[in-house]
Amino acid sequence: MDAMLNTAALAGLEKTINTALRYDPGTRIALGKLEEQVLAVSVSTPAITIYLTPTAEGIRLMSQWEGEVHTQLRGSLPSLLKLARSERSSFADSGVEVIGNTGLLVDLQRLLKNLDIDWEDALSDLLGDILGHQSANIIRSGLGYSRDRASEAKRLLSEFLTEELRVLPAKNELEFFYREVDDLRLATDRLEARVQQLLNEK
Amino acid sequence: MNEKKTTHFGFEEVAVEEKAGRVADVFHSVAAKYDLMNDLMSGGVHRLWKRFTIEVSAVRRGHKVLDIAGGTGDLSYQFAKRVGAEGQVVLADINASMLNVGRDRLLDRGVAGNIQFAQADAQYLPFPDNTFDCITIAFGLRNVTDKDLALRSMLRVLKPGGRLLVLEFSKPQNALLEKLYDTYSFKVLPMMGKLITNDADSYRYLAESIRMHPDQATLKSMMNDAGFVNTEFYNMTGGVVALHKGIKP
Repeated sequence: MDAMLNTAALAGLEKTINTALRYDPGTRIALGKLEEQVLAVSVSTPAITIYLTPTAEGIRLMSQWEGEVHTQLRGSLPSLLKLARSERSSFADSGVEVIGNTGLLVDLQRLLKNLDIDWEDALSDLLGDILGHQSANIIRSGLGYSRDRASEAKRLLSEFLTEELRVLPAKNELEFFYREVDDLRLATDRLEARVQQLLNEK
Repeated sequence: MNEKKTTHFGFEEVAVEEKAGRVADVFHSVAAKYDLMNDLMSGGVHRLWKRFTIEVSAVRRGHKVLDIAGGTGDLSYQFAKRVGAEGQVVLADINASMLNVGRDRLLDRGVAGNIQFAQADAQYLPFPDNTFDCITIAFGLRNVTDKDLALRSMLRVLKPGGRLLVLEFSKPQNALLEKLYDTYSFKVLPMMGKLITNDADSYRYLAESIRMHPDQATLKSMMNDAGFVNTEFYNMTGGVVALHKGIKP
């Protein structure tokens, strides 16, 4: 494959991310402190490895890196994307393998969570202060409204499924069931130990 | 018999001692608008070629880098950021006009402290043996009169284990692409040169010199002959440009 395709894609992605980070100086300063650390993301199919290193200007994405890699994430594209989107903090059962220092991942995850891009500033640069502020207000209230509706819809749907249709168990029922399973497991453990003891005494 | 040694200047044959002067004239003429022309001629793709070169260079904090024929300083700017305060970058160019443009541009962009400027001939590099971790020569080797001498000179100033990267126009790997590329370089380029810098001849020289430059395999064997090992090349944009890499043993 022409080496240029990867380079072009990464250059575009890097520029987009760094342009957005221009409006979040806090994250940029925090990234600057992680400078020189390299995260490799290896996708198994298609076989591509991307190297990411934080810099004071944002991040740097590379298709080639011959120096030390501090942390490596390895997995299929769907499992890596799923992991990136989810808020889970453990890699168990995620299908993604982590090699090396997980501290860098924790730092990057924390930065991603606290990402606070000042879109209003970006809009103001583009449209001027007054129009920028007004557009930002409209977008903010629109987003707030759809977020409220989405969480309301989620609550109603889960209530309907558990309380009305009774097709799904409620949360407390599930917890009760898990407790009973735990008790049962402890009881069988105790029984096994008892049987073992009796056999030994024979 | 008094036969003069000749070399090529584009498609022309000129005396060996004349070539450097003729090349210098071309670059004195284009220096002021070199960047603009690069962007126009390559459609901005030269930035990607250079970006890939920087990735393959594996330059890190503390390294010493020599950017030969560094011209307007595109590579030096990135290297200066990567080597940090404890590293060093030397931007070298044989042409004073190009070097001036590069120096002004880098200083204007706030690059200082870890960068030096040298007007130097690639064939006779004025540096001690085993000095640099990495040497790059981007779009410069084809203008050098004696390429073998230049490659040996670069080998001398590289540290053992250091790498040379030659970014240069090369031979397209596809017949159709080659045809398109020929039309573009012999018809469109000189016209663009005329419109923007009022200097069609210089751009005609650029197109001709690209055709006279050794292809991928030849340049690789020239690097091997000069003493480099683990030589390899990466084709970019279908072979219009190739990046050659060689390591000093």
